[in-house]
Amino acid sequence: MRIICPFCGERELGEFTYLGDAKPQRPAADAGEDAVYDYVYLRDNIAGVMSEHWYHGGGCRAWLKVTRNTLTHEISAVEPTAGAGAAKVGA
Amino acid sequence: MADFSWDVRSPLDRALVAGPYGVQGDAGVALTEIRNFDLIQVMARRGKAGETAKAAQARFGAAAPETPKTVATADATLIWSGPDQFLVLSKGGKHTMAALAPVFAGSASLSDQSHARALISISGDKARAMLAKLSSVDLHPDVFGVGAAAATSMDHTSVTLWRGDDRNGQAVFNLLVFATFAESLWHTILDSAAEYGATIGHSEDL
Repeated sequence: MRIICPFCGERELGEFTYLGDAKPQRPAADAGEDAVYDYVYLRDNIAGVMSEHWYHGGGCRAWLKVTRNTLTHEISAVEPTAGAGAAKVGA
Repeated sequence: MADFSWDVRSPLDRALVAGPYGVQGDAGVALTEIRNFDLIQVMARRGKAGETAKAAQARFGAAAPETPKTVATADATLIWSGPDQFLVLSKGGKHTMAALAPVFAGSASLSDQSHARALISISGDKARAMLAKLSSVDLHPDVFGVGAAAATSMDHTSVTLWRGDDRNGQAVFNLLVFATFAESLWHTILDSAAEYGATIGHSEDL
């Protein structure tokens, strides 16, 4: 598998580290225990198109959001996450 | 109180043995460690990429690289190292931490890497063949021309790789590696170069 890093170009999988599902959002401070439990522990095991966080630690050290089909490994989109490349993302 | 003596020496001081290595005859690979350089990492602070670029332009008389490439200025090489960050490679104390800190005050964070990296220059007929064993980046001249740079990994070790000006009509690849990983990568490079024959040396010239 290869990932096209928006900063570096196409690179081999070995340069990247997988973090996991990019969908969960940190709940508000007063959201309650169930919401926090869900955020920290509960993950969907998606067979199909999934949004994931990957870290290009062996390259430019940017965090990326990768849209990948877990059945075929087809990658349909790669974008920098907020904070990676401040100028590009603006966050 | 005990007297300490801090000798500045290269991370490859022990591993590097000048002379021929591997197959005898015409060396296919030339390995030269460059010593005593100044290297400053410049990282734009959040939302300050524009200010950092302006400061770099004013200081170096050239725009800092915003894509994986190098920019040669009169007395420094600016090397892309990631989004909104680059390395300033120079020698002779022209662009040290003390000199650059006021230039980027408020716009970028600086980190002195002068003694934190080893710099290895690789050339020769078989330089690209040797590097192909270590790197998955395509180094063919059509895609990795003079001035191209890459933040990548070799032998699971992060490196900054760029192509310098050709020397005697041959491509020159420069490699910055973390000091503590330099010896390990050096031995891997020697293993890779042995079948082509290598000539090993060190230099103070960038």
